[in-house]
Amino acid sequence: MAPLTRLAGLALLASLSGAARAADLPLEYAVKASYLYKFAPFVQWPPAAFDAPTAPLSICIAGSDPFGPALSEVVHGQRVNGHPIVVRRVEAVHPGLACQILYIGGEDTGAALQAVAHEPVLTVTDHIRGAAGGMIQFVMMAGRVRFSIDQAAAQGSGIAISSKLLGLAVSVNR
Amino acid sequence: MKGSLRAWRFRYIAAAGLFWLAATSACAESIEDLRDLSLDELANVSVSSVSKTRQALSDAPAAIFVITHEDIVRSGATTLPEILRLAPNLYVAQSSASDYAIAARGLSGNPGAVDFTNKLLVLIDGRSVYSPFYSGVFWDMQDVLPDDIERIEVISGPGATLWGANAFNGVINVITRRSGETQGLLAVADGGARERSGGLRYGGRLAENLTARLYLRGYDDAETLTPADARAKDDWWRVQGGFRLDWAPTARDALTFQGDLMNGRISASNAGDTLTRNRNLLARWTRAQDDGGSLELQTYFDRSGRDILQDGGRLWIDTYDFYLQHNDAPSGRDDFVWGGGVRASRFDTTGNASIYFKPPQRTLLLANIFAQYGWAFAPGAKLTLGLKAEKDPYIGVSLLPTARLAWKPAEPLLLWTAVSRAVRSPTPFDRDVVEARNNVPLLVGDSGFHTEKLTAFEAGTRVQATANAAFSVSAYYNLYDDLKALGITPVTIIPLHWENAIRGHAYGLEAWGDLSLAHWWKLRAGFSLLHEHFRFKPNESGFLPADRISNDPSRQATLSSSFNIGQGIFLDANFRYVGALSNPAVPSYCELGGRVGWRLTERLQVSLSGSNLLHKWHQELPADTANLVPRSILAGLKWRL
Repeated sequence: MAPLTRLAGLALLASLSGAARAADLPLEYAVKASYLYKFAPFVQWPPAAFDAPTAPLSICIAGSDPFGPALSEVVHGQRVNGHPIVVRRVEAVHPGLACQILYIGGEDTGAALQAVAHEPVLTVTDHIRGAAGGMIQFVMMAGRVRFSIDQAAAQGSGIAISSKLLGLAVSVNR
Repeated sequence: MKGSLRAWRFRYIAAAGLFWLAATSACAESIEDLRDLSLDELANVSVSSVSKTRQALSDAPAAIFVITHEDIVRSGATTLPEILRLAPNLYVAQSSASDYAIAARGLSGNPGAVDFTNKLLVLIDGRSVYSPFYSGVFWDMQDVLPDDIERIEVISGPGATLWGANAFNGVINVITRRSGETQGLLAVADGGARERSGGLRYGGRLAENLTARLYLRGYDDAETLTPADARAKDDWWRVQGGFRLDWAPTARDALTFQGDLMNGRISASNAGDTLTRNRNLLARWTRAQDDGGSLELQTYFDRSGRDILQDGGRLWIDTYDFYLQHNDAPSGRDDFVWGGGVRASRFDTTGNASIYFKPPQRTLLLANIFAQYGWAFAPGAKLTLGLKAEKDPYIGVSLLPTARLAWKPAEPLLLWTAVSRAVRSPTPFDRDVVEARNNVPLLVGDSGFHTEKLTAFEAGTRVQATANAAFSVSAYYNLYDDLKALGITPVTIIPLHWENAIRGHAYGLEAWGDLSLAHWWKLRAGFSLLHEHFRFKPNESGFLPADRISNDPSRQATLSSSFNIGQGIFLDANFRYVGALSNPAVPSYCELGGRVGWRLTERLQVSLSGSNLLHKWHQELPADTANLVPRSILAGLKWRL
């Protein structure tokens, strides 16, 4: 009996000091976070958007951040067209941030969207009635996370969205 | 407990030893698991939660426990009642090889007093499976292939406003995976000295937006022992097959068609065997709207029957159900849900000398409309007000209101409180039944029997304490009125009849927590406490004392561990303690289940699982109506093509 309990105690100590994973995101946010980096292969930015062919593709999170560290962990080591993906948190949105994808969380989207209106930034927001929407808006549909696309706004910023992505959208504003 | 003190301590050490070997793996629905999905598949991941609106599960103001697909597959459980043992807010007790009493927050009933467990709403993919005969569930007639279950949402507490009829003390919502998520061929087989089951499932893609699956499952279980150690002759088997078709004709529409066929046979020692049959067909259409709202329409047909051979008693019900729900997103974080439904149940019974229904055929109509508004009046705070108006069979309209308040003062902390009203409406077993001996009626239903009522006050908290630890605590105070009791006829005493003669209260606590010690080792613990008090209403009395209407344990505790060794070995153990029952007495007991799974190749997995390992036989329910529960060990095989 004694040797067994001693072994049990050692095992417990060893595991407590081991690396532990980040908490599981609520599924709705896990799906939205996954969309953010999965959109990238279907979007073409103008050449000026990247400093170099291997410059990082930045996913910036502004406003209220529902994703936490999980998003950074899951994109680690991934690349889109040769660009490594990085996730950055930004406190204030202003021109010259060098983000390729910008997610603005919460209801206060107007100021941030205006700040990057003339930059080649793919803006993503949640669909909240009364709040300004980005080029892609997340829409809840029958318990699933879907999205609608404002293609006109994207084209105005020089961003081309592939027809595959347009086909998956719930609605497209051309 | 049988056995010497030394043997008892050894069992505890054995249990601790198993936990030492425990571990965890990633939850099946984490961002890691979504990494490999295509955009199409990501668009089909269901994140719907218990409140039927778009809240993340962690924000719902109710005591909800979700049994995930991974929990189910790793537990080695092969039937729905055994899977439900994984929920710490449920009381699950086995009374024979095929029969269980499953309840939440007490009132599990007392079969010796002809009081059956009848206070839960159980749904499988939106189809209600409690029997409108007596409001209880024939657990031997409900089967789902465990690998096809997406999740089971277990809500303890009254869900009447949104979920409706019979959601008195809880709702169990079994949700199966979409056919697009179960593609290819899967063969499953489990066998042991007592239990054998096998299943085959094939999923295919018929067109770009059309997927389907077919399944077949057989299950066979050996007899148990009576408390007097005699053969109980309660062995049984069941075969079920079915299909599911999912079609998305446009980006906004989703259609689902499902159907099952089930045949089964349950032996009985003192009466004829029972043949069980079920046929059902369900169709559901969901449409998304431009403004973020959605509309859902659902209709189903269900035919269930039990035939007792030898003396020819039969119970058959045909159910036709239609349901509509509209979700709206009025502004920002507010949400609005409204809907309604109609259900017609056609009963056809043939009695025998000891039990029959008067009238033997009847069609009962149930109808309801409901609305619920969630008002986000301040950052992090939401008030939800809901009302359902339900027209029950035999009775007029009942109003079922609910008010719930959720407050998130900080991201990892949710505080919620709720007050709700629920009713259990009368059934043919309450109104039309006649139980007789030698042509003398002993027990009759009563035409004056009306709804049992509950007013529930609840509060709780859900905390994500650290990145690796989360826990949930809920407390409740239930006020019961007009509960069913056996009343005596003046002067002659018999026939006994049902009366709404009892009122009472219950209060309790449910708590559970998850702890990730490493990404390959996860622990979960839970416990619940319950105190009930029942008394007769003024000027009422009954055949039995008031406290005999329900026989529940005042406490339960569970501890489980999930452990991975590398990528291919999965070890799971779960331990439970169930407190003693008092009336009739059943001693408290502890039991242990576990599973070792080994992924031999990417497509083939073998496993060894056991349930009720600590004792060869043990008693969970009173000896006058229940048999002993056996130890069971199964070897399993899972092969994917």
